[in-house]
Formats: sequence, structure tokens, C-alpha cells
Amino acid sequence: MSEVAAGSIRARWRSGLDAGAGMARGAPDVRRRLQLSLAGIWLLVALLQYQSFMFSNGFSQMIGGTAAGNPGAVASPISWDATLVAHHPVLLNSIFATIQLLLAIGIAWRPTVRVALAASIAWALGVWWFGEGLGMVLTSSASPVNGAPGAVIIYALLAVLLWPADRAGQPAPFTAARAVGAPVARALWAVLWLSLAYFALLPGNRAPQALNGMIAGMESGEPGWLAALERGAASLVAHQGLAASIVLAVALVIIAVGVYLPASAAKATVVLAIVVAAVIWVFGEAFGTILAGGATDPNSGPLLILLALTYWPVRAAVTAPARTALAPAGADEGTTSP
Amino acid sequence: MTPAWILDIFAAIMLAVAAVSAARLAVARPWQQGTQAALADIDISHLLMAIAMAGMLTASLQTLPNGVWEVIFAVLTAWFAYRVIRDTQTSGVRALAGGHCAPHLFHAAAMLYMFMALTAPTTHASGGMGGMAGGMSGMGTLQLPLLAFVFALLLIGYSIWDLDQLSGPGASGHYRLAAARTALTAPVLVGTTAGPGAAAAVSPSASGLAGSVVATEAQPAHASAPAIGVGAILAPSVATGCRIAMGVTMAFMLLIMI
Repeated sequence: MSEVAAGSIRARWRSGLDAGAGMARGAPDVRRRLQLSLAGIWLLVALLQYQSFMFSNGFSQMIGGTAAGNPGAVASPISWDATLVAHHPVLLNSIFATIQLLLAIGIAWRPTVRVALAASIAWALGVWWFGEGLGMVLTSSASPVNGAPGAVIIYALLAVLLWPADRAGQPAPFTAARAVGAPVARALWAVLWLSLAYFALLPGNRAPQALNGMIAGMESGEPGWLAALERGAASLVAHQGLAASIVLAVALVIIAVGVYLPASAAKATVVLAIVVAAVIWVFGEAFGTILAGGATDPNSGPLLILLALTYWPVRAAVTAPARTALAPAGADEGTTSP
Repeated sequence: MTPAWILDIFAAIMLAVAAVSAARLAVARPWQQGTQAALADIDISHLLMAIAMAGMLTASLQTLPNGVWEVIFAVLTAWFAYRVIRDTQTSGVRALAGGHCAPHLFHAAAMLYMFMALTAPTTHASGGMGGMAGGMSGMGTLQLPLLAFVFALLLIGYSIWDLDQLSGPGASGHYRLAAARTALTAPVLVGTTAGPGAAAAVSPSASGLAGSVVATEAQPAHASAPAIGVGAILAPSVATGCRIAMGVTMAFMLLIMI
């Protein structure tokens, strides 16, 4: 190698390091950032799936447990799935984890974002049934505090709302409306949050000690500080199940209708949604019990927060450029013009 | 417990990262760069972290005692903290999100945390990093699990961001430009990364590559072909790829040791 060429190589190495490998070459827009957040959660889920607990019989028992209380037509496939996983825990769990890893990488890698989002919808729907028992929504034990309607269905919902396409010529008042349009996006939001309000008022959840028992049950295995938080929260709602359920349901209804309100009020309800989701995640879900080990996912709290962010009103309504529909998949998805 | 073959796969990836980082250092020869030699910090940190992680994942790949690694990663953490502070003085807090030192700071800090926070396994005390290897197979856990979770989230975030940037619209043009720079020896034009037809004429000195070479994306492929084999390994995208692999592996280790 000549000295000139060698000098050139070293200069390139210096410039590459100095400029920063991977420095922003195209700043992602809001939707792309939300897609990346979704990819990050998928990556977290994938890595959690590699935990030692998932390769044990405990995982198949966890799956089998979601069959309880479900109708026979729903429960039978779950039981079959649990048995299958029990017989091949290492092989199947490795496949599950790797699929989720590929989904995360696919969403983060721009050329494959559409394929990965589509695959994530199919995967999420499968897990919702076979792994989460449809979020227990057909049983009497579903509660917004413990993750109803199933965290994984929110992954599918987010994949739909963050689909990299724009409805040509229509202004989008918030990011979630860009792909499906504002009426559909608002309807999906309302259905989700109204269903949570409904679950909050189920007899099993409004019993005097229901919420107390649910929160206190999260204490097991958690670090001391989190266990203390759980104990404190549980004592606050002791014998207050009905009142707490009504307060929660009212808040959820306000959130549900918030997207139909003017922008300033809609922002307030989105903030309320984020606060409620954060409270649920900390006190009701104990951060998805990740700190106790053996969690398959961070539960619904972070997903609800991410979902709320997709409904944050944008200052100037976005009109979709006509060329978007014609652009090749992932060609320039999510990059703002400099 | 997490099957050994999964740990071995991650360990193999780390060995590959170590090999690539060593090759980058060998080709770039930072010891001949004078004051610029400090820029080797990223490749050196990749090399050290990859070796350390491979040893943590697979007992047979253990090299140095835990105490030595703690000192190494404490020094690296302090060094990258210094560089991040310098970056923030010029770029503000954006240096934390988009700068290239911040991820390395968190990588080094996470490594330091892992070595310091691992509780000794009840059995299997084989010396060296046996404790860590025990931790990988479910026999030890990390103290302050919240910190492990926070580190894992940060590493996941940076990895996802890097993947996005690596596949961004300017990335392919960036690769071609970088390869062409290696091959040509006459100062001509520098291309932007915005795509074909976006080239702008500047002098070599203005490009920041004094004495080096610049080219447009319109340069024929064969012009850059001879030097790609040697020079391609120095592409920034290679370092980013190593960083992604290490970030994901480190997050994996943190989460399975909670």
C-alpha cells in the first residue's frame, strides 16, 4: 500500500471517528421516532424472552394459566400451545425470542419497516390468543390495572397506527391519524379506553378488597423499595375498591372522549392518559415485574404511554405529500427534510 | 437456565467484534497518528468490552481477573465522561442523544456496573470471572436491579437509534463515498450524502481531509474497488455495527442477570 493510500485510509478513519459513527444522517420525524420506540420495546421483549425462566417449565405453566376462565374454544388452543411449549421449551422459546428480535431489528431498519410492522401485527395477534388468553377480556378477571386488554394487542394497534403511509391530501391532527385517518384513529382510541373503563367496573374489580389484593400481589420478589411502594399503594385502596374503580373508570372515560375535543383539551387528556398509564405501570404492574425476574414483557403501561404519544395533537396539521404513496417501501420513510 | 449455546452465540459475536476492532486498529495504526491517536479510544473500548463480555458469557474465554476489568472500565468510563462533557460544551445536551461518545460512556459504565454489582454465586467459584459466568447461567444476580434495567433501556435505545441511522437515506451514499475516498489520490469533488446529483464542489482542505481524497457518487465503481478490501473495515458503519452488537449483547446480559 502506498504512503498516500495509507494516509488516506487513516484520514478516513479519523474523520469517521470524529464525525461520529452513526451520527444523524437523516433526522427521523415524529412518526419514525415513535416507530423506533416501538422497536425498542420489541427488543426489550425479545431480550426478556431469553431469560432463564423462559426456558423452564414455568413458562409453559404461565401460558397454560391464561386458559383458565376462557371459553372452551379459546382455552383449548391455549392448552395445546402450553403443552407443546412444555415438551420443547428450549427450541420453541428460542424461536419465540428470535422472532421478536427480528421484529425489533426489522422495524428499526428502514428498508424493512413495512414488512416488520406487518409481521408484528400477525405475531402480536397470535401471542394475544395463544400466550395471553385474549388478555383475559372474556373472563371476569380482566382489569386495566393488571394489563387488560393484553399488552400485546397494543403492539398490533401501534403497528397499524404507525404504518408508514399517509392518506394523501388529508390533514392529520395527530400522528396516529396519518395512516388510517382521523375518524378511524379516534374510534380505535375510544374503543380501547372505554373498554378499559368497562373492565375497571367489573364486579370482580370493584369489590372492596379487589384492587388492594391486586396491588399487594405484585410485591412478591420485587426489590425492597418497590415492594414498599406497592404496600403503600395497596393500603391506600384497602376496602376502597368501589370508589377506586369508579374514579379510575371516570378518568378512563375522560381519556376516551378526549380525542374528540379541541386541541388544547385533547392535549390535557393525552397527558392524563400518560399519567394514568404510568401509575398503572408502577403500582398495578410493578414495571411489568421485570425487576423480580421472569417477566416476558414490560406489560401494558409503556405501550399505553407510547399510544398516547401518537395522539398528541400536532401544532400544524400535516398534509400528506402526494409522492408518499408512490415512494418505494422504506425509501425515505420517516426522514425530515433538512 | 439460559441454554449455554445461546450464551456461546453471543460470545462468538463478541469475538467477531473484538477481531474487527483489532483489525481496524491495525489498519489505521493510531500509534502513528501523533495527537490524533486519542481517537482510537472507540476501537480500543470496543476491543476491550468485546473481550470482557465474551469471557463473561463463556467461562472458557475468561482472560483477566474481575478487579483488572473494573479498573479498565472505570478508566474508560472516566475518559468518555470527559469527552461527553467536552461535546456538550460545543453541542449542548444534543451530544447526549446524537453524539458518538455518549453511547460509549454508557457502554463503559454498564460494564463497570456489571463487574461491580454481580453477587457471587453460591457455588462454582472457579476464580477469574467464574462468578460472572455463573451469573450468566442463572446462579448469580446483579445488585441494584433497577440500575441494570435503566442501563438495559439506554443500551436498547442507542442500538435502535444506530440501526435506524445506519439504514437511513444517506447511509448508502455514505458507504460509497467512503470507499471512493480510499481509492482516489487526486483532489476533485466531494459528494454529499444526499444522493445522486447532490454533489458540491469544495476543496480538499475544506472537506477536512487534507491530503486525502474525495469523490462524487458518480465515480465508477471500479475506481474504488482496489482499496475497498483494506479500507472498508474503517468505514464508520463498521464501528456502528460493532456498537449495535455490543449494545444488544450487553442489554441481554443485564436483563438475564436481574
